Amino acid sequence: MKIKLLVVAILFLAQQGMAQEWLVPEDQKNIENPSEYNLANVKKGKDLYLLNCKSCHGDAGKNNGLPLVPPPPDVTSDQMQANTEGELFYKITHGRGGMPQFETTLSEDDRWRLVNYIRNYSPDTEALLVEEPPKKAKVLASVNEAERVVEVFAEYQNKDSVYVALAETPITIGAQKAFGILPIGEVLTNNEGRAEYAIPETLIGDEQGMVTLVIDLGEGFITEDVVLDASKVGQPKPTPVLIKEEVLWSTNDNIQTWLLLSYLAAVLGAWGTIGYVVFQIFKISRAGKEE
Amino acid sequence: MENKSRRSFVKKLGVSVGAAGLVGGSSLLSSCNQVETASGDTIKLLTSSGELVEVSKAQLKPADMPSLSENQKRGRQGLPNRKFVMVIDLSKCRNARECMKGCQNHHQLRPEQHHINVLQMQDAEHTAPYYMPKPCQHCDNPPCTKVCPVNATFKREDGIVLIDNERCIGCRFCIAACPYSARVFNWFEPRDAEKYEGVTYNIEANVPQKKGTISKCLFSADRLRDGKLPTCVSSCPNGVYWFGDQNEDAVTNGTTHETTSFSKLIKDNAAYTLMEELGTKPRVYYLPPKDRAFPFQGEIEDHHS
Repeated sequence: MKIKLLVVAILFLAQQGMAQEWLVPEDQKNIENPSEYNLANVKKGKDLYLLNCKSCHGDAGKNNGLPLVPPPPDVTSDQMQANTEGELFYKITHGRGGMPQFETTLSEDDRWRLVNYIRNYSPDTEALLVEEPPKKAKVLASVNEAERVVEVFAEYQNKDSVYVALAETPITIGAQKAFGILPIGEVLTNNEGRAEYAIPETLIGDEQGMVTLVIDLGEGFITEDVVLDASKVGQPKPTPVLIKEEVLWSTNDNIQTWLLLSYLAAVLGAWGTIGYVVFQIFKISRAGKEE
Repeated sequence: MENKSRRSFVKKLGVSVGAAGLVGGSSLLSSCNQVETASGDTIKLLTSSGELVEVSKAQLKPADMPSLSENQKRGRQGLPNRKFVMVIDLSKCRNARECMKGCQNHHQLRPEQHHINVLQMQDAEHTAPYYMPKPCQHCDNPPCTKVCPVNATFKREDGIVLIDNERCIGCRFCIAACPYSARVFNWFEPRDAEKYEGVTYNIEANVPQKKGTISKCLFSADRLRDGKLPTCVSSCPNGVYWFGDQNEDAVTNGTTHETTSFSKLIKDNAAYTLMEELGTKPRVYYLPPKDRAFPFQGEIEDHHS
């Protein structure tokens, strides 16, 4: 009995293992990558990865992919890197189960660039995209309501642990909305670490035109987002009346006068007519008695 | 009646404490406290996020929960200066049905009841099939509210169409009036009815559900009041839903939490609304199912031949 159970268990496990194996046709396995392994292609691949793959596979090397079954492997993992370039391309192209196909959504060149990006983390190839550890940074920002500009000053901690001005770095400006931060623009800091962002005229704020601005330095730096509390730089939010009386008159609160009056007139008219007829009958019968 | 019994209780308490004497009284009180904390009595509570939790009675403190009448009053007014809008990206939907699961848990729905349902669609004989999540369209010109004889269902100023189950008489006129089949009727005792016994009715979540009344999608109005996205929006794993305030012209994706301009999103993607020709003016917009990342795996019956 026990042996039978063991055999069943082994068979089940073996089947599971086979089910997880993703077989790629032999002729597809060794296709050579037509896109050159260079920094430009790897960078492009990274952008594509962040847009299309990161939501499930997570950040490279952090093993923070979604907890799905089977789990989407990390880019740096042996499971991912054991694939040939042809296999990677085939799997990205056709997908399987939880992994979508990208045949119709990404061009062939872009899919090969993704393969280039994955190869950046292979132990056999030289990593072209070296990611620096995030630096500590400080951001100061203020809003000039009169001139409608945001003034930003940023500095970062260099190798000697001294804070110096952060030059030529993009800074994202966002506006706080009901459920998230809407990016409204980006500025580059100058050599002194300063930047000025002109707030567009069309920016919508709250009912008074107040906007809460959020200044973000991006992923390469450790800093808290600077939140500039409500300042009067936006257009007042339009608040059109949604419930118009003529549209939603079914409730007592929204009933229209003409409707109410005509209804009452009709009711009164009907009862009045009945009353008049009854009164006439009464008169006729009285006249009959008098004779 | 209530006042009298309370008064008599206070009187009795005074008598008993007086009889026990000052020193005895204090010891009596402290022993009472001990008994309270030691007792393993628990009580089931419904949190604002729709979860049912069990806590010990000793830890209970009166919360500033609105009473039923207060809840009904603020439930009719809605959130000031907002106009909620939803955008559903059909190219992203792969029938994961997490929205349906989250919704049924939040709103105490039986497995066959749907506030939101993922449908399998095929528009014409030779067109590609696709998945379409369909919640209540929260029309600006709602046919359902106009037929209600008891003013139980209504449109709020923030765009949401709600039902007051305390007023609903179960006539089902609104089910007949709704062209989107968005409404469901509680033919049977609602799911987990015994768990929700004694819970105060919340008009913004339709919880607890009542047998013999109507229920429908509410855009999770109770979560919106807390500044959270609706349950279906935040439980989607595929980035299908965008939700936001049309007055602000911003919508936020429930999966990626990316925020974008509502007008730009619907313009760039040629968004449409369902059954435009009926003049119901839905508040739910659909982005066409082009460039779908996932293959359609359902079975479409051929109605076109």
